[in-house]
Amino acid sequence: MTDALDLDDIQAGALHERPSPYVGTYVLLRVNDAHDGRRLIRRLIPLLSPARSVLDATPSAWMTVAFTYQGLQALGVPQESLDSFAPEFKQGMAARAAELGDVGDSGPDHWEEPLGSTDVHIALATLAPDQASLDELVERARRAQDEFPGIDVIWRQDCHQLASGRTSFGFRDGIGQPAVEGVGTAPTNPGEPPIKAGEIVLGYPDETGGLPPMPTPDVLGRNGTYVVFRKLHTRVAAYRSYLREQAANRREEALLGAKMVGRWQSGAPLALAPDADDPELGADPKRRNDFLYRDDPRGLKCPAGAHARRANPRDSLDHDAVDVRLHRMIRRGTSYGTALPDGVLDDDGVDRGIIFVFAGAHPGRQFEFVKTQWLNDGIFIGAPQESDPLVGPQDGSGTFTVPRHPIRRRLRDIPPFVVTRGGEYCFAPGLRGLRWLADLTEESR
Amino acid sequence: MTAEAPSRPGLQVGPTSEFSLFFHVKPGHGEALRESLEALQAAPGYRPGDYDLPIGTIHEARFVPFDNDTRLLFATSFDGSWDAYMLDFASKPLKLFDAIFQNVEGYDGLPDLEAVKDFIRSAQLTAGGYSRNYGGTVKEIRKAERVNKAFQQVLDDPEAAELLQAPALAPLLAEASD
Repeated sequence: MTDALDLDDIQAGALHERPSPYVGTYVLLRVNDAHDGRRLIRRLIPLLSPARSVLDATPSAWMTVAFTYQGLQALGVPQESLDSFAPEFKQGMAARAAELGDVGDSGPDHWEEPLGSTDVHIALATLAPDQASLDELVERARRAQDEFPGIDVIWRQDCHQLASGRTSFGFRDGIGQPAVEGVGTAPTNPGEPPIKAGEIVLGYPDETGGLPPMPTPDVLGRNGTYVVFRKLHTRVAAYRSYLREQAANRREEALLGAKMVGRWQSGAPLALAPDADDPELGADPKRRNDFLYRDDPRGLKCPAGAHARRANPRDSLDHDAVDVRLHRMIRRGTSYGTALPDGVLDDDGVDRGIIFVFAGAHPGRQFEFVKTQWLNDGIFIGAPQESDPLVGPQDGSGTFTVPRHPIRRRLRDIPPFVVTRGGEYCFAPGLRGLRWLADLTEESR
Repeated sequence: MTAEAPSRPGLQVGPTSEFSLFFHVKPGHGEALRESLEALQAAPGYRPGDYDLPIGTIHEARFVPFDNDTRLLFATSFDGSWDAYMLDFASKPLKLFDAIFQNVEGYDGLPDLEAVKDFIRSAQLTAGGYSRNYGGTVKEIRKAERVNKAFQQVLDDPEAAELLQAPALAPLLAEASD
């Protein structure tokens, strides 16, 4: 079969689930010398895992290597090839800030250095189920980096799953992932057949029936995927305080929190557990993603504006001019920072949040579409003034409508709970693409 | 009403964008085009008074043959930005109008979405002016219609006049006299 996924060439990160528990390290490198950059890639390739090696058994640790536009340029990739990449990738995330709603405190002026700068060239993301395995692989990569004076480590972010197994806001996450055709993982939502491989990996047919636009040369583009990472600071104390102010008691507090997310903290979806949390359901991978919204058009169980229903509206938009399958994505978010202890409502000043990671073949119609049309905007649900109550670019005056019998509840003056600290668009080539990069010569420019 | 500067294709007013496509009818297909338009007009949802277009974010849509049926205009207003939704439009609504577009040039053999996008791009023209008389999305307008219908039912109840005296209902009472 010509369309079979080349699992021996695709990097593992995009297709392999985040383990639980997990630890992770993200490192950003600047390439001051193209020759050193290419030699570093050659040294890193043996440390990488092809997708096939991780699909059957979780390995001890795996690393993904990705490049920014500036990074490819710094390595000496010919201009003709650079020009062939997706426009969002070429512009970079800082240039897309206004479009993405990264304004005010989330604006590039306030980003953590060096995020958003032209110094960010290579991104290394390493994930493992345990600290020792992570340390070993990160250390091997570090020794490789240290060999080359033309390479600078300019940023490092360590991540780990919180003891609760949940995000800093207290929710189980990473549940609603699409299954990808050809990978062999069964969908957790039987109502959503696996998406075409070309939605995630370049070089294969996508949901439109065609091939995704692929960077040239073929050897660089094929089996690659775009990776978007964002460091998102979560204002947990502000979030808890807001819910406390709006709720008459703890039960209502939990309910409003669930209405904003679309799931209870356990992961149990409102669509299946509308009235009270059901921890058993939340812990059951076979049931917690097995639902649609067709019996809840008014959002009495799960509000149309809830975070999870916005990010993946499932069948909610079947009668609109939108094809939901064109806007699915792989997410590999991990938590950074310590948990704010239970019950604390005052900000302790600790930086905590999520390293959001997207993998997909179409940064524009996947990541940017979902962010701008579904999370930041409310036109599609008939509420143009509302944005995502949890992660939307709130300015303190926003509302969130919670349908309810007999009278809907409307939360007002929602403060921003998530602040963008920076991020970048990257490209993770297949292993052959990496070898091609390593073999570039000055003459190839 | 002010429209956004035409920095992108399709002017937007509030949440709604205008969208106009100008096609060339294939030679000799004028009659077939008329027939396909009549068939569409007779289909459920499109019949006058049905108010139930299969795409729930389109305010209205029209097909206008002109220049002796050698040209065809498709004009609509829809909720969202033309930029963001073009792929979706190409993927879904276009297929609903397949029988019509069969009669226009450039529609044959659209092998993939890139070809479909090119087909739409080559036919799309941005309005020189675009104004609207209401700001709501289709979903909001439908909700407003349902609410008004319910309100009129309430007003038809003999007890309405007394009940609407409650202070909390003052905004409704203000709308009750005509």
